[in-house]
Amino acid sequence: MDTVIDQLPKSVDAAAALPACVNGLPNFEFPSIDTPSAFLRAFTDDASNPDVPIKPQHGTTTLAFKFQGGIIVAVDSRASAGSWIASQKVKKVLEINPFMLGTMAGGAADCQFWERWLGSQCRLYELRNKKRISVSAASKILANVTYHYKGSGLSMGTMVCGYSEKNNTLEPEIYYVDSDGSRVAGQLFSVGSGQTFAYGVLDQGYDYNLSVEDALTLGKRAIIAATHRDAYSGNSCNLYHLKPTGWVYHGNYDAAAEIWRLKEAEGSFNDIRTK
Amino acid sequence: MSRFNPYGDSSGGSSLAIAGADFAILAGDTRHSTGFSIDSRDQSQIADLGDGLFLTSNGFSADAKQLVDDLRTQIKWYHHNNNDHKLSISAAARTTMMLLYGKRFFPYYVNPIMIGMADDGTGAVYSFDPLGSYDREPSRAAGHASELLMPFLDNQVTFANQLDPQTGEPRKRLDLDLQTAVDLVKDAFTGAAERQVQVGDTLEIVILTKDGVDRQYYDLRRD
Amino acid sequence: MFLTRSEYDRGVSTFSPEGRLFQVEYSLEAIKLGSTAVGIKTKDGVILGVEKRANSKLMESGSINKIEEIEKHIGCAFSGLTADARMMIDHARVEATNHAFNYDEPTSVETLTQSVCDLALRFGESGEGQERVMSRPFGVALLIAGYDERLGPQLYHTEPTGTFYMYDAKAIGSGSEGAQAELQQKYYSNMTMAEAEILLLKVLKQVMEEKLEAKNVQLAKVTKEGFQLYTTEELEKLVADLPADVDQDELAELS
Repeated sequence: MDTVIDQLPKSVDAAAALPACVNGLPNFEFPSIDTPSAFLRAFTDDASNPDVPIKPQHGTTTLAFKFQGGIIVAVDSRASAGSWIASQKVKKVLEINPFMLGTMAGGAADCQFWERWLGSQCRLYELRNKKRISVSAASKILANVTYHYKGSGLSMGTMVCGYSEKNNTLEPEIYYVDSDGSRVAGQLFSVGSGQTFAYGVLDQGYDYNLSVEDALTLGKRAIIAATHRDAYSGNSCNLYHLKPTGWVYHGNYDAAAEIWRLKEAEGSFNDIRTK
Repeated sequence: MSRFNPYGDSSGGSSLAIAGADFAILAGDTRHSTGFSIDSRDQSQIADLGDGLFLTSNGFSADAKQLVDDLRTQIKWYHHNNNDHKLSISAAARTTMMLLYGKRFFPYYVNPIMIGMADDGTGAVYSFDPLGSYDREPSRAAGHASELLMPFLDNQVTFANQLDPQTGEPRKRLDLDLQTAVDLVKDAFTGAAERQVQVGDTLEIVILTKDGVDRQYYDLRRD
Repeated sequence: MFLTRSEYDRGVSTFSPEGRLFQVEYSLEAIKLGSTAVGIKTKDGVILGVEKRANSKLMESGSINKIEEIEKHIGCAFSGLTADARMMIDHARVEATNHAFNYDEPTSVETLTQSVCDLALRFGESGEGQERVMSRPFGVALLIAGYDERLGPQLYHTEPTGTFYMYDAKAIGSGSEGAQAELQQKYYSNMTMAEAEILLLKVLKQVMEEKLEAKNVQLAKVTKEGFQLYTTEELEKLVADLPADVDQDELAELS
């Protein structure tokens, strides 16, 4: 069987058929200059220069953690292009399949494209092997791709979350994969511009033995804290719970409303004056 | 050092789309300019892709033109390979993503908006970032006046952050009818032409319903 | 049939003076050596059935697999060279998942069948921009069963020549002649899935050398709910309940 790298872009005859993709991967066009990545940075990296013409959507707080009841995944929903809020309701949890979730931080297009691509690779694995792919294998496929394109300008920080079969039992796994090619297994991660604020809340309230309800509350609470302090995070929180039977969506919570609710319920956020 | 710059700043003014329960609207002004110089006052920026799909892409008009050509080719191939079946808007949106992301390392400078009728009969608006990230949305504006138009749409199409005076509950937009939507589009562009130099001349509106396509034209400021 | 056999039957890309491609014709013969496979379409779905011919008593019949899932809504039975079938099925799976990735919709059954047939002629020398996949024509025929939104249940038969046709009921493999004649006689268009199951087993029973048992047949169906292989228990029940000798009148009564 081809490895992922064997399947990376080959040249394709434009008239051959549907030309956008060969083996599920697009036939990427690079500008014919010496330093394509410097060109890309000059025109699309609004972090280094706010006046670049092409502004990809990015900025985020995402988190995921393992606990006794499975995995909680919580994210915000703001996409910014420069300082412009390009979208207020981005779906930053990508449903790779009914048993696996990926989170989106960094370039929205990079995450959307590669996690959808990963979804089809996982499906192919399932059809070929008549069993579900493990999270470690799936995250490795993704990391192989990001490592292959290392340095060419991809921007993504993602957590691949799900259940894998190990010694005949299903076990939760979280892998952090980013565009540098890193791939790290762990039990608690937060990724994105608001990660430090989310970690603050998570580290204070996290316990492996949390009940499902308390774990969901903690995930949401950490995202709300991040939307409060990180200008590039905000709008709302999407909440998921992964169980051995698959993921369950636990709703969308408006960040503006949640702040007031939390302030009243917890006596927190005392820097905000009461209405 | 001379820097490689394949992007120009010639483009249409602005475009805007609204989706309703049984209609979709795509509107754009017909002013085309390069920097502060007006090239044309009668340049439509709404492309008819066939299969009941319409597209605008603000940004750089040469890239926008290429994207439209790419999409038309893709739709043709889809017909050849799929027994002349119509390309649905959700499939067209994914195709657009593939085309945009295929240029991930040499991007098109475009912010496309596509409209069509979804399979369930509802109006659909899909918007894209230059690299292909996309989503279906109730409304979207792009181009020079996007920062003027978008807050207006948030306020009038989705009633963002508004409370119902009677109940005190968040106001929800449940029954946006076609005439109201068309009026909103006209107001939005009249306002944008008032404050944005690249927007003006004529407003072109494409209205999709189950009965077909209707095109309407309205005057905007011509100065 | 092969009286004009000559040096022209050696090259895969050389026509004989009579205009024939012998290697392609011979590939059709390879299918006739394969075990029998049958497909029947009803208004609710398609049933595929194959004979599992074990060469030895020591062979594990469970390791013979002649029906495969291509995607959730498409399955395929084959007769001929199994290794060739594996290659085509893998190609079909890649095409199906690619279509879903490119268009955010499941591929139609016909589109998928066409893309499998595109592969069939990729032998001999490579064409412009196309990779050569095989040094010879495939020695396998497929029955592709699927269900899609546009045309509902569909059954296609593909050949090594790269042609495909749509069928109501089709048999391939060593017993295909007898089986096809039987299908021709007993098939009717408003058949239910249960009736098709019986007809299919009955047809297989007639052309099989061994006695029909749950362990030497494999059945699958594709309905609106998707592709599904019959479990051993389901097969055992079906075989046990199979009327000893169903004639045409009885089948008609069942409807």
